[in-house]
Amino acid sequence: MTVDADKRFPAAGRITWRDIGASETGVAVVVLAIFALLPMVVSGYPIYILPQYMLFGMMAMSLGLMWGFVGILSFGQAGFFALGAYTMGLAMHTNWGINPAYVGLLLSLVVGGTLAAVVGYFLFSAGVRATYFVLVTLALSIMVEQVAVSQSEITGGWNGMFIDRMSLTFGPLGDVPLFDDAPAYYAVLPVVALSYVLLRWLVSARFGKILAGIRENEDRMTALGYNISVHKTRAFALSGAIACFAGALYGTHANFVAPSLGGVLFSTEVVVWVAIGGRHSLLGALLGGILVASLSNYLSTVTPEYWQLVLGLIFIAVIVFFKGGVAGAVAQLPRLWRTGRQP
Amino acid sequence: METAVSVVVDATLITLILALAAFGLAIIYGLVGVINMGHGAFLTLGAYLTWAATTAGVPFVPAVLLAALGVGLVGLALEHLIIRHFYDRPFDTLLLTWAFFLVMTEIIKIVFGTDFRNVASPLAGAIDLGTVKIPIYRATIALVSLALIGGTAFVFYRTTLGIKIRALIQNREVASLLGLDIALMYKLVFGVGACAAGLAGGLISPMLSVDPYIGNVFLVRSFFVVIVGGVGQLLGGTLIGSFFIGGSETLFALFSKQVFAQTVVFLLAIIVLRFRPAGLLRAR
Repeated sequence: MTVDADKRFPAAGRITWRDIGASETGVAVVVLAIFALLPMVVSGYPIYILPQYMLFGMMAMSLGLMWGFVGILSFGQAGFFALGAYTMGLAMHTNWGINPAYVGLLLSLVVGGTLAAVVGYFLFSAGVRATYFVLVTLALSIMVEQVAVSQSEITGGWNGMFIDRMSLTFGPLGDVPLFDDAPAYYAVLPVVALSYVLLRWLVSARFGKILAGIRENEDRMTALGYNISVHKTRAFALSGAIACFAGALYGTHANFVAPSLGGVLFSTEVVVWVAIGGRHSLLGALLGGILVASLSNYLSTVTPEYWQLVLGLIFIAVIVFFKGGVAGAVAQLPRLWRTGRQP
Repeated sequence: METAVSVVVDATLITLILALAAFGLAIIYGLVGVINMGHGAFLTLGAYLTWAATTAGVPFVPAVLLAALGVGLVGLALEHLIIRHFYDRPFDTLLLTWAFFLVMTEIIKIVFGTDFRNVASPLAGAIDLGTVKIPIYRATIALVSLALIGGTAFVFYRTTLGIKIRALIQNREVASLLGLDIALMYKLVFGVGACAAGLAGGLISPMLSVDPYIGNVFLVRSFFVVIVGGVGQLLGGTLIGSFFIGGSETLFALFSKQVFAQTVVFLLAIIVLRFRPAGLLRAR
């Protein structure tokens, strides 16, 4: 009897993304509203730096999509992010009659999506296991870093590359330069919000259900006639394109990109953000990226080494005790309350 | 001709040094199946402990042995406190060992600082072969690497302990039914793997400047060595894998910059991994 119950309710007793989804939308609206109103209360450095952390959060969501919804972990997201920044930097020098920043943004989507699709299909079509995928993506981020270092004529090598701030142009309607903090903030925020909405929509649509099916039982999905490797590749291409796009915006916002942006350490920092924020929740990943990166930035000036140490210990605690991260814990609260009332 | 000789010599040295660096990983991954992302931290710790011991006046050889012992103990502690509870969840051990890497690296930074440290080479000079010069220290390390792998082969195929370990790899459940203490064997293997990594870190330290990320250089390459050679193929696999990674890097470095050569080698390794996930040594 108990076996039957387990089969019928495989999720009973543990957190699922559905629990999170129900409570997530409300929180997301509040959080985005706070971000939208923030520049009216705060000014100066926070408004300058927050868009960069939001873009980190966007990269974290691209990882969350793969890790939480497909069950595949990538250790190379920052490789795509850096690739986007370099793409932007190179595109800014184009003179094709359209706003070079638009060229950069468009190219970053194409470059990131294509690279991820090629690498993804190459590996997924052979059924490469998840642990090897981690290693390959880790190698990928090292390769991005190495290429950036070695092709110094194009990338500036160790010295990095300077990238101008972009302007929004609306053809005959005029243009809006994003050189000041507030316009840049209000240009980045909608992009991040939109990518969140898009991803939320995708994971709740048919595509997301197929991905969840793959995550839970690959063999069954194959038996049902789904082409697993194609769907995994699609998800990874999307993830790569988003990370690369975020990187392109980051490059023009930070005015600078160096090889270490694509390196192993930064790539795995993203994994830590998502683990802490909650791998089964896109909002958890987004906020994990924003908050942990802000906290890291703040505490790095106060106590750099001990903060990293504490972060590492938190990471261990999350893996051992709270697999759902903060979002998972929050989503579990109402249920704990309910079960507490029904003895 | 001169280049040919020097390439062969370089490739041999790099192969054996890489084999040394990857050996601890090959033991842990091959025998207990833990994707040990903390391998780089073991190497780094070995290098720093060697530096600390030699700075304190201990001669080089005992210093390296002490470092290996120290890293072995750290590995045992890691296994006992965390890893042993997660043997049936390989993906979590991957994350946990990476977390160990993050924590260990920070502890190393706090204890030893972030400056470059140099360990004086105990054997200066070079063997002059007329056309090429082989640094004595590198040559010695290459021999030590061979001896270590050979010694492990002996333990593996000629001792009772080796039989037990092989039984463990072949069939964990039957081995435990036959009265083998699985938990103890796993602990032992993990400790030995950490110890081997510490030894490698110590031995490599005089060849490079020691910094908190020195092990990173070897982490991904070690993994590719193990995967290309074949997981669980401790001896031949490690050598073949090292030859593939180190040897081809030497070759490509002839035509391009060292960093770019590494990129090409990684690309090749990924292709091998795709078509031969069980490694070059094993038939499909």
